[in-house]
Amino acid sequence: MIKTEKVLHLKSSRGRKVRVVREHYLRELVPCYSSLCQAESEGKVLSADVTHYVVPDAGVTRDFMEILEFREIQGLVFTQTACQAVQHSRGRRQYNRLRSLLKDPRHDCVLFANEFQEYSYCPREKGEPQDKWQTRCVYQAAVWYHDHLAGLKPVVMITEDQGAVAEYSSLNCGVYVLSTLEYLRTFWPELQAAHELYGSIAQALRERGNEGTEREFAEHLPAEVLEAGIKSGRYTQGTLNVNKHRAQHEAFVRFDGSSNKNSELDSDVLVWGGKNRNRAVHGDMVAVELLPKGEWRGRTTALTEGQGEEKGEESQGQPMPTGRVVGILQRNWRDYVVTFPPREETQSQGRNSLRILATPWDQRIPKIRISTHQADTLQDHRVIVRLDSWDSTSLYPNGHSVRVLGRAGELETEVQTILIENCIHIAPFSEAQLREMPASSPERPWTVDPAEVVTRRDLRDTHLVFSIDPRGCEDVDDTLSVRSLPPGPQGPRLELGVHIADVTHFVKEGTLTDLEARARATTYYLADRRYDMLPAVLSADVCSLLGGVDRYAMSVMWDLDAQTLQVNRVWYGRTLIRSSYQLYYEQAQALLNGEEAEVPELDHKLSHLIEALETLTQVARHLRAQRDQGGALELEGVEVRAQLDEDKNITALVPRQPLEVHETVAECMIYANHWVARKIQERFPQQALLRHHPPPRQEFFTQLQDSARALGFTIDTRSNKALADSLDQAVDPQDPLVNRLLRVMATQAMSNALYFSTGACPVDQYYHYGLALDRYTHFTSPIRRYADVIVHRLLTAAIAVEEGARPAKASASNKELEEMAQHINNKNRAAQHAQKVSMELFQCLYFRDKDPETAECCDAVIYAIRTNGVLVFIPQYGLKGALYLRNREGQVVRVSQDGRCVWEAGSLQRSLDHVSTTTASGTSTFRLFQHVTVRVSVQTSRCHADTLHLELVSNRAHRAPEPPDRTPRAAPPQGTRGRSQLVQEVVRQAEEALLQAEEKKGRVSELSKEEREFRQSKTPNLYSLLEEVREQALLDLTASARTCATSA
Amino acid sequence: MAGVELLSDQGYRLDGRKATELRKVQARMGVFAQADGSAYIEQGNTKALAVVYGPHEVRMSRSKTLHDRAVINCQYSMATFSTAERKRRPHGDRKSTEMSLHLKQTFEAAVLTNLYPRSQIDIYVKILQSDGGNYSACVNAATLAVIDAGIPMRDYVCACTAGFVDETPLADLCHAEESGGGTSLALALLPRGGHIALLQMDARLHQDHLETLMEAAMTACKGVSKVLDQVVRQHLQEVSALTGE
Repeated sequence: MIKTEKVLHLKSSRGRKVRVVREHYLRELVPCYSSLCQAESEGKVLSADVTHYVVPDAGVTRDFMEILEFREIQGLVFTQTACQAVQHSRGRRQYNRLRSLLKDPRHDCVLFANEFQEYSYCPREKGEPQDKWQTRCVYQAAVWYHDHLAGLKPVVMITEDQGAVAEYSSLNCGVYVLSTLEYLRTFWPELQAAHELYGSIAQALRERGNEGTEREFAEHLPAEVLEAGIKSGRYTQGTLNVNKHRAQHEAFVRFDGSSNKNSELDSDVLVWGGKNRNRAVHGDMVAVELLPKGEWRGRTTALTEGQGEEKGEESQGQPMPTGRVVGILQRNWRDYVVTFPPREETQSQGRNSLRILATPWDQRIPKIRISTHQADTLQDHRVIVRLDSWDSTSLYPNGHSVRVLGRAGELETEVQTILIENCIHIAPFSEAQLREMPASSPERPWTVDPAEVVTRRDLRDTHLVFSIDPRGCEDVDDTLSVRSLPPGPQGPRLELGVHIADVTHFVKEGTLTDLEARARATTYYLADRRYDMLPAVLSADVCSLLGGVDRYAMSVMWDLDAQTLQVNRVWYGRTLIRSSYQLYYEQAQALLNGEEAEVPELDHKLSHLIEALETLTQVARHLRAQRDQGGALELEGVEVRAQLDEDKNITALVPRQPLEVHETVAECMIYANHWVARKIQERFPQQALLRHHPPPRQEFFTQLQDSARALGFTIDTRSNKALADSLDQAVDPQDPLVNRLLRVMATQAMSNALYFSTGACPVDQYYHYGLALDRYTHFTSPIRRYADVIVHRLLTAAIAVEEGARPAKASASNKELEEMAQHINNKNRAAQHAQKVSMELFQCLYFRDKDPETAECCDAVIYAIRTNGVLVFIPQYGLKGALYLRNREGQVVRVSQDGRCVWEAGSLQRSLDHVSTTTASGTSTFRLFQHVTVRVSVQTSRCHADTLHLELVSNRAHRAPEPPDRTPRAAPPQGTRGRSQLVQEVVRQAEEALLQAEEKKGRVSELSKEEREFRQSKTPNLYSLLEEVREQALLDLTASARTCATSA
Repeated sequence: MAGVELLSDQGYRLDGRKATELRKVQARMGVFAQADGSAYIEQGNTKALAVVYGPHEVRMSRSKTLHDRAVINCQYSMATFSTAERKRRPHGDRKSTEMSLHLKQTFEAAVLTNLYPRSQIDIYVKILQSDGGNYSACVNAATLAVIDAGIPMRDYVCACTAGFVDETPLADLCHAEESGGGTSLALALLPRGGHIALLQMDARLHQDHLETLMEAAMTACKGVSKVLDQVVRQHLQEVSALTGE
């Protein structure tokens, strides 16, 4: 090592300039991380099979990192100089992004510590400007790289500095200096996305220089002042939440627990108006200062249609703490989808027609100013945009466009929009990932490894294993078995087994597939398609426990007492199984009922199968009863059960109704999850991944209790048992919907179930409120949930420890696991939200194609009262919406004698259980749970998602002219059914339209074909999808809360 | 200083060293002829001068005299020009008194004081340039000076600091790393026997990490001792060549 000295001029804490001398050690041996290099280097290496290596300079790394993030660009060498420049000028967020890029094995890039290399380091000369020096350093590094690899690879340095290009380009052969644009043109002419992105960033950079000087907002306070203020309690720290319906004015700051020193503030702080919000964007972490009490305001309680600001003061609630934003602690900007305005609007935007104000899809985000040349071509297109900055001199934030999604209103565009807005990034599985997969093709199916057979318990001959899944299901991740054992000392015994696909055998920790699955965290189900967590070869073939083939499994087997079902012994372990029967639900139920079913006879196993199904049903009923004792809540599918109790005749139901066998399977899975949770928590008390469902806060039940009281029911919410019992009693024999709506409201009052690491939570918070279990986790669906994969690994480690073997690798620490749990929770939330939004999208598409005049009238039930309207639930389509009783002109609805509704001037009276309108010609009243008839139409919106608009037609229940089973009284819960039909119809129409468009073009273009392949499941199996959702709803309450929200 | 990254993902520290590498150590013995022993040391940019007088009879108050061994008197000071901002450093401020005391304790453990009853040994140390690890530079310089004075010691006393960043122990911290807010542990070691003469740490550290941190500091001390040993041997050769033996 050679010691040199660096002289720096730094600013001291008092603002004086200080001369600091730092040592700087140089060495010869600095790893270059290239696989061409002879020297051994550990960790990630650059692949040798690229045509060249790229060295971006400091400026390019700083400004154009988004382009470098393209996975197509390989052989990237970041220099230390460039990284430090990013760290200094762009702050930690950007730097962390660069760091994670360097760590991600999917990107072919490395960091070269050029300043510590003896020959590539060049000291800064006296009076040399910093950027010149940085460019020189990077060039020197590029030259060294080229020489170090003995000229085997050409090295390309990219810079934005034209002077540098001129100065250096001819100095060395083999080292090329290009500008970014030239580089992209020369090497990546086909990477259109990168070119567009480059254009938009460059444009944004150019525009940033010439800003106006007029100040629109107060300056943010410096970070030290904010920190001191938060410590002293003068400012409060929290996350900004913008009210979706009044995005212009209302925002709330929610505290993050610990930081709240101001104990008298227990509610959120209201931030009213744009000036007070001071450039904070939804999701940012901000510091707020409270305003004097005299300026406090209340939140608005009236229903608005997004444009209702004229409502005035009268509809305000209680004054609440109000404040203004004084500084932003952490920006939380993500990618936003915006819509470019049509041409006439662009021109009206002042002299500089290059700048465009685009409206984000998310109403909570302010308009974004974008500089672009493509304004004309991009009219009415949806585009992904990133925010760059928001100066105090500007009314709107500046951004640049990243990628064009497509024309607004097209199905594909809208679905992509939903994905982006929920931060779901799904690229198709890469070559490298697919290479890790075991080979399996129809000609040469995958077979078990004899070496593996020895280590596993072989259940192929001893157990009758079968699966029950939705019809046409490809990814079977759970199978069941049950058999009687020789009687023990206490009497006859049963052996119940749950066998889950052994995904962790194929997906080893740390592999590319594992990383990808971890990033996705779950399989995403949208209304018309799904995005798998694992590649299809695993999820639909090698891991899937298909009938008649040998498969690896993770099993839990209980040795039960046949009478009392007491657990004598539990066995956990890896097994080898061959599923004998792959049943679907209807088939299994038919077998149970002793009906004819098309089940092939296999080695006289059929009678055994029926016997096993019966035993299984018995066991499941027993388990269910046990949980009911504990207070398990039933939140969906309740009417089905009620009908079962009444006539016990399942064939009388609509075929797609939930069957008892659904519950049987679900109950077995809950049982398996529960026992695995117990096992891993016992073995790893500090680092097991469990799932808990915290008890809801009592105040959230107010609406439910009020609504129930209006009908004369009382709801006891003190415990989950009390709640379950009182919900069971709250049945109106006249109207089955009442109970369903009450249950939906109960579900809404609850929080979501969440994953957590046992070390991060006290033991008394492990409880699962909805399932009434003291420990719970997810173990049974590793093909579509990453949490289950982690649990599988934990269980394997637990078994290994018990057998005395030391675990091969230390399992994740509590902290890592907790971070992982947070990540999975976030992704799950995003997945559910995306699913919900996509369902709404399809509803809108469905109604859009209807003629508004002849639009179907349908039945709706009022379930909540607001100041200027009511909230209704439409059982036929399973959707909820607001029904306005007063329009913007101040007119109210009056119901005439024959039930027709007219708008007239009048007033509106709201009370707890009804709302009445008074006009000159009379009064009409709307009560809770009253049936009314509404007409559904679509309110189109150019920039945002379309919304459904409801219009009151009559205050009586809708009598459809159709067959009697469609009338509301007799209507079974058609939510799911109505929705599935709706989705099918929309998909069909969209595909027809697509085909027509293609025919018009006269040829089938390559691109659209690829696009359709990219959609993975071209003809989605809707039935399996919806069953999946339903099953999830039974398994845990998060899902049920969400499905209710969409279905009810 | 939350923004400074003390240890990069590639394992480099701010100045380009790896976690276990020491700064460059250069030393000379016998820099002043007037004193009984003297030495100058540079550990990176930390530069220290040590001077030893004695053993001689006790010149302080008689009551301090010890009848079975020698008294060690240490004085530590920093030059006004040793830091980036010039500062007057009066004698006897708290920091230097404490440092003097630490030095005294260290050398009482190392010097064979019982060979010189009723006498006194003076050690004066001055920091000429400060860049982290002042204590260890002082100890190392004083050791060389004591050897130069010909006072018998049990072993070299070698000192080094170690810090703890991102679960990794760092050896021989520089000023930027010390002021970064992390843990810093100073350790003086008698390397041959592995005896610890002094261990000092002010910051908080999880007890699980203490073991590894001490291990790192001891390894660093052993590295320092090798350098010092070389310096002593070279000095001896030079001196013996001069005297013609």
